Amino acid sequence: MADDISRWSDELARDPSSQVFLPLGEALRRQGQVDAARRVALGGLERHPHHADAHDLLARICVDAGELERAFDEWDMALRIAPDHTGALKGMAYVCFQQQRFDEAEDYLRRAAARGDTPDAGVAAALDTVHRSSVSRAAVDLEAETTTADPRLLFTRVLETDDRTALLLDASGLVLAGAYLTPEGVDVASEVGAQLSGVTDEAVRATQHLDIGAWRSITFETEAAVVAMAPAAGDGLLVLAASKATPLGLVRRLLDRCVERAHTWLARTGGAGGGA
Amino acid sequence: MSSPFQAMLGSLMRLRGVSATLLVDEHEGMIIDSMLQFGQDGARVAALAASLHRKARKSAEAAGLGEVAFMELEAADGRICAAGRHDLVVVAVTSSSANIGLVRVELLKAARGLA
Repeated sequence: MADDISRWSDELARDPSSQVFLPLGEALRRQGQVDAARRVALGGLERHPHHADAHDLLARICVDAGELERAFDEWDMALRIAPDHTGALKGMAYVCFQQQRFDEAEDYLRRAAARGDTPDAGVAAALDTVHRSSVSRAAVDLEAETTTADPRLLFTRVLETDDRTALLLDASGLVLAGAYLTPEGVDVASEVGAQLSGVTDEAVRATQHLDIGAWRSITFETEAAVVAMAPAAGDGLLVLAASKATPLGLVRRLLDRCVERAHTWLARTGGAGGGA
Repeated sequence: MSSPFQAMLGSLMRLRGVSATLLVDEHEGMIIDSMLQFGQDGARVAALAASLHRKARKSAEAAGLGEVAFMELEAADGRICAAGRHDLVVVAVTSSSANIGLVRVELLKAARGLA
């Protein structure tokens, strides 16, 4: 390696426009001589500004120096010059992975995998790693959200729009999570919960008396909204309200999602975070 | 003697999948009139349906959502549907195969016809 470096250095000294700066810069980088490698790469780029491999080399040197943003920019430049540059795609995936931008990392890796004529085991392994990290990260996000967030906001993501609101009541009608917002934005969850106390018990008795199986939902339409309720864990009640313009089928889907979310939250917290 | 509500309850009863129809006083939970199949205990259904409707109405009031027009309890093998007006509630018990859209329309029509 030392001989190669010496030989390439001599050649570059004789002919500064030679493309030997590429193996020379890479060899210096591999030896940990980051500053020397950077000088060689920058010198090469001065003479070959549109050489994709030169930008790729500088990007790898930047990664070694801990300069991820600069590395990403250099790989981005390489990709603009050579859209099929697999090294640049892998490099950008690496930076995205380091920055926990897993979706983007996976996208770059898939593009890299699609470029090659033969399957690249390295890309496949990287894809697997990114995928597992992404799933793991999603689980961590969900856990953090369901265990530490304000219980009143438990259903916010599920509901998607501001004209819907949901709350989770315990068997006594006390609010465990969620909110029941009026069109004016006032939270009347406690008042609604008090009025709905006992609904679960009466629904059970009615369906048992009529022998029509376990109750699944109660829906009522008012002048301003559609309200749907479903049984929740521990004799609880999930209440969802949506604007009257919301299709009933969508109301039911949202109700199912809220029940699922409440179930996950109760399983993780035991409802200890409630009592809003 | 036939009550003034028999025609209304009878038309609901003719809908496919409807097994019982009742007119109930929401406050008392008492039957005003009913059409039931043989062996059905209407009093208990009336009391429970009235109570559920009352809870729905009061929760809607608490949330500022206005009057409750229609209520449906869905179970694995059937439904209890109700539409109310002026403290009166028209109730229909249906199988799960009933055309719930049609039942809803007819119940709302029946409720509008209540004095």
